[in-house]
Amino acid sequence: MKKKKVIHMVRRTGISTAKAWSIRIIAVLLALLVCAFVIVGITGANPIAVYGGIIDGAVGTSSRTWITIRECVFLLIVAAGLTPAFKMRFWNLGAEGQILMGGLATAAVMIYLGPMLQDWLLWIIIIVVSMLSGLVWGLLPAIFKAYFNTNESLFTLMMNYVAMQIIDVAIVFWENPKGSNSVGVINQVGKEGWFPSMFGQQYLFNVILTAITMILVFSYMRYSKHGYELRVVGESYNTARYAGINVKKVIIRTMCLSSAIAGLAGAMIVAGSSHTISVSTGGGRGFTAIIVAWMSQFNPYAMIIVSLFLVFMQRGSIQIATDYGLNNNASDIITGIILFFLIGCEFFVNYRLEVTTIDEEEAKA
Amino acid sequence: MKKKIVSTMLICAMGAMCLAGCRSTSDDAAATASTTAADAATTTAAAETTDAAATTADTAASEASTEATGTGVAKDDLKVGVIYVGDENEGYTEAHMKGIADMKQELGLSDDQVIEKTNIPESEECYDAAVDLANQGCQIVIANSFGHESYMLQAATEYPDVQFCHATGYQAASSGLSNFHNFFTKIYEARYVSGVVAGLKLNEMIDDGTITEDTAKMGYVGAYPYAEVISGFTSFYLGAKSVCPSVTMEVQYTNSWADLDAENQVATKLIQDGCVLISQHADTTGAPTACEAAGVPCVGYNVDMTSVAPNTALTSATNNWGPLFTEMVQDVIDGTQIPADLSIGYAEDGVAITPLNEKVCAEGTQDKVDEVIAAIKDGSLHVFDTSTFTVGGESLEDAIADGSLKDTLGDSYDAFAANVSDGYYHESETQSAPSFAIIIDGITSVQSN
Amino acid sequence: MPDSNNAIELKGVTKRFGSVVANDDVSLSLKKGEILSILGENGSGKTTLMNMLSGIYFPDEGEIFVNGQEVTIRSPKDAYNLHIGMIHQHFKLINVLTAAQNIILGLPGPQRLDMKSVDEKIDELTKKYGFELDPEEKIYNMSVSQKQTVEIVKVLYRGADILILDEPTAVLTPQETERLFEVLRNMKNSGKSIIIITHKLNEVLEISDRVAVLRKGCYVGTVETKRASVESLTEMMVGQKVTLNIDRPDPVNPKPRILVKNLTVRNREGLLALDNVSFDAKSGEILGIAGISGSGQKELLEAIAGLQPIEDGQILYTDPKDNIEDLTKKSAQEIYQMQIRLSFVPEDRLGMGLVGSMGMPGNMMVRSYRNGKGPMTDRKTPADLSKRIVERLDVVTPSIDTPVRNLSGGNVQKVLVGREIASSPVVLMVAYPVRGLDINSSYQIYELLNEQKKKGTAVLCVGEDLDVLLALCDRILVLADGKVTGIVDARTATKEQIGQLMTAGASKKQEA
Repeated sequence: MKKKKVIHMVRRTGISTAKAWSIRIIAVLLALLVCAFVIVGITGANPIAVYGGIIDGAVGTSSRTWITIRECVFLLIVAAGLTPAFKMRFWNLGAEGQILMGGLATAAVMIYLGPMLQDWLLWIIIIVVSMLSGLVWGLLPAIFKAYFNTNESLFTLMMNYVAMQIIDVAIVFWENPKGSNSVGVINQVGKEGWFPSMFGQQYLFNVILTAITMILVFSYMRYSKHGYELRVVGESYNTARYAGINVKKVIIRTMCLSSAIAGLAGAMIVAGSSHTISVSTGGGRGFTAIIVAWMSQFNPYAMIIVSLFLVFMQRGSIQIATDYGLNNNASDIITGIILFFLIGCEFFVNYRLEVTTIDEEEAKA
Repeated sequence: MKKKIVSTMLICAMGAMCLAGCRSTSDDAAATASTTAADAATTTAAAETTDAAATTADTAASEASTEATGTGVAKDDLKVGVIYVGDENEGYTEAHMKGIADMKQELGLSDDQVIEKTNIPESEECYDAAVDLANQGCQIVIANSFGHESYMLQAATEYPDVQFCHATGYQAASSGLSNFHNFFTKIYEARYVSGVVAGLKLNEMIDDGTITEDTAKMGYVGAYPYAEVISGFTSFYLGAKSVCPSVTMEVQYTNSWADLDAENQVATKLIQDGCVLISQHADTTGAPTACEAAGVPCVGYNVDMTSVAPNTALTSATNNWGPLFTEMVQDVIDGTQIPADLSIGYAEDGVAITPLNEKVCAEGTQDKVDEVIAAIKDGSLHVFDTSTFTVGGESLEDAIADGSLKDTLGDSYDAFAANVSDGYYHESETQSAPSFAIIIDGITSVQSN
Repeated sequence: MPDSNNAIELKGVTKRFGSVVANDDVSLSLKKGEILSILGENGSGKTTLMNMLSGIYFPDEGEIFVNGQEVTIRSPKDAYNLHIGMIHQHFKLINVLTAAQNIILGLPGPQRLDMKSVDEKIDELTKKYGFELDPEEKIYNMSVSQKQTVEIVKVLYRGADILILDEPTAVLTPQETERLFEVLRNMKNSGKSIIIITHKLNEVLEISDRVAVLRKGCYVGTVETKRASVESLTEMMVGQKVTLNIDRPDPVNPKPRILVKNLTVRNREGLLALDNVSFDAKSGEILGIAGISGSGQKELLEAIAGLQPIEDGQILYTDPKDNIEDLTKKSAQEIYQMQIRLSFVPEDRLGMGLVGSMGMPGNMMVRSYRNGKGPMTDRKTPADLSKRIVERLDVVTPSIDTPVRNLSGGNVQKVLVGREIASSPVVLMVAYPVRGLDINSSYQIYELLNEQKKKGTAVLCVGEDLDVLLALCDRILVLADGKVTGIVDARTATKEQIGQLMTAGASKKQEA
């Protein structure tokens, strides 16, 4: 009797939370194992020491820990901002541009109003103005989506490039020193408009802003009438119309909120951390945050875990690149492997493979 | 640089959309983007700094040794931190990495005494990196990109016991910090020498009858119309003019420090405009590639171009950062104060030209080159000798006297004027970064945008 | 041993989707040259079983024999190689291509297509079995029945000897059904073996030789059609004796509630969906709306609900206090703000009436989320309402927070109807209220509608099963091609009469 094995996939229904998470944990472990092989392959170093290096790089000293927190907070606030839009199935790929515009507004306030106003007043103006200019960047595609049903993914994506060009123009005006093609650190001496250090920690202010924003966003999503409306719109325009929801209004309102938060993230980056503006101020966070939001399924707690993990690996990888004289790209390979396993494991959360044995002899008889 | 960011964004977007993306690589994009701004140096601040740092780099060094402060550092305890804007795949940083390796060998440091961080963008990440290196016990932290300066300065304020050295910057003298320093090479000397090589080639072509004296026109592919570039092409032109008096030069800009396509196009355009020899201040092999295709001789920058232009490349002007690094690190070991501005040229082996391509260079070039280098070393030849060129038809001294340069130079006029004495322009002496920012007669500079 | 007289034989076939068993140990056979009906309620696993024969699904357990040989069908291609062809309920045709192009699509052939010989071969097939088909006609110009013909010719062209038709009559008029059956008999006579999936008992009795019955994924048995009756088959399907009588109380004190005058509506494509429609709906009665699917039923209800732009005409609403409100060109939002209690159970339950990803309370809020002051929603009242609906309508759900899309069709409908009647509507509009529901759930829904009727609600019910409409409604409005072709008294009208009205507009169109 000849037996033939056939593998086919079967969709799971109602997988238990414990099982789903154990699959994910196995994926992380497998990813770390594969990374270990890659590391040994490249460096010949002891992989455990390398992982030690990653931990050291991410949280080895208090300043490294704060950098990890700072980067994590940036991802979190952008992800929180994307959540309402994505829940509405409005594919806002323009967070990067919205961050840039928020940052641009912040830089403008610091440069033009910095010497004139009190710090606390500057902070308020920065927060308001950055949110407004982020909002404008999201409002445009939202209006076109609502009234002409244009494709919002392309529109928001293109707006990123427009934002970059505007930043380029602004740099021409604000160039410091002349000829450097960069703005340099704004108000380096007087620190006008810089977000304040709290308890000796210069990034704590950002952490608090992000925490407040996240609490507000997720309460809005879960408990407010607006939040309900946008979730219905995300599910189906027809249902929304059926429920008497003004779909156009909800699209525009939600996108304003989403992009205003991305604008605020721009303010946090410029006034709270880099104190300069350039086309790379966004640093790709507008896109990385999409991954954070999706992988965490819009759950705020999962968002914290996912963004911490991503930043942790990123910072850690930079450290091992220095330790072992590797190119930074080597650390990207490690992050890439981990993401591959993490995203790939979702397949096994949704499907399982089954092996069926088929009797070939009988089949031919 | 924008292309890379754009493509990164697209890739990210696609990745994010199908949920299969990987971590954004924009760090690298930012790094590469900022590389390009690295060499940018200006003359603007010179005015403010003239009084504060009126000493020349050389004298500052000797003075400094007398006011040696600290106790120094045992060589075994020494740790050197380096922040690179790029990595070994990028010519500018590669040259610095080689310099660090030379320094390490020269001083006999072990591998774990030098911590190198690559791909650090010109943002708060530079500050993070500098602080991190200081925290790791480095007594000296070196950064190589122009945009790193303000972050280095910030770190220097917070870590007064650590020496922060920054290439291409200009703020050290005016910062009032004793632990923050700028350094640069006197690359204009090497450009002058490469200009001599070019001039001899032109003479050969005139003798052959390929061109006439009147058509001896060179082309120059510049990155930006900044002082560093202007100083560079002026010295190159003066070098050529010293042997071929009738030469003229046309400059066009790419508005990027490294853009292969743009450099190629600009070079092609210059050749169409009648230029018979091309040189460049931009970081890729775009121009030599175009020259090789058109059969036009060329002079490169940073690296030997014979690999892409075996039949046309004459030589390249190069920086040699090793001696600078060695000097700075040695100062830390000795406990000697590092000068605020540090600049070295031929005399200290800080610059060079790559070996001549015998196949293309005119006969007798090597002898002439050796002669010129010797003259630069012993101080008998000054590159910006005011008797060798005119500005707007008059000598530089006259032009300064009648104030006709005020409009061109703006704020940096006073500092510029102060550099003119003893019959020559004192380039890179008060301040390590180049500052000669006027267009002299014989050169036409065209803004391409 | 398998019998080689059987075209198809299934032995112990089991298919699971996660924890759901779609087919449990099913064994049945199709004899060569017969027509076998597979009968079962919605969700009894008929289609899943046939999809395993056509290579779309792969069985978890069990064996399949074709012409007495065990086979492994891993893809539709394998099925074609075994000469099995399936005609799906939803046609898989490319609109911009011609019939002939669709028929040869995906077939291997020479580099240069010889459409002439293809057409000839198609003509040969259509002549042989009695189809009416022009091979050069584009699909988008075709009626539903013509498209079905293309699908059937497509599998015959590929050499199918065993044909499986999934609910072939669902989209056809009585006349078209008759024509299809004629073709099927011709095919049977020329030796083809045919399986028809259906839940319409009368058709089963008319066309098939034998009937195999499935119930909840299990095989119940096969009977000779001659020996079966509607009652016996129903009992096999449901598993118990069912009284098929629908209660019909007489309307009490009927008063006009909705008055539609000369209503004209164009659909999204700009085509006339409703043409000069006028009627009234009264309190305490059920007004049935009959018609071939796509005759304007959807647009009519949506126009009244404020979800469809109106080109011309008027919709008037009379409230219980005899105030008349004009609903013409009012949006759903405005109608809500006018506090008009107009409930609507749309045809597309999860796409329009409900939010699939939300639990029951979230779906209750579709109607009530605006209640209460302030920007925050009241979450307690909807949760209480959900619990009441679960209790009263026997909704089977693991918890009220389970996303409604995970519930079975019947339970989804109960959630939707439960919500719509919870607001004590003055007008209740329901579209295809029992589509996809098992017999017991269907009767529960009929009872709910009657309950509303007794409360004095004006009920408008769009239905597809004429037998049910005739038993449930007081009056039946018949739509054909967007026009009202008649409003009949359901107590006296006959099915044939309504069938004629349903096609009246269509035949006129053909003449024009």
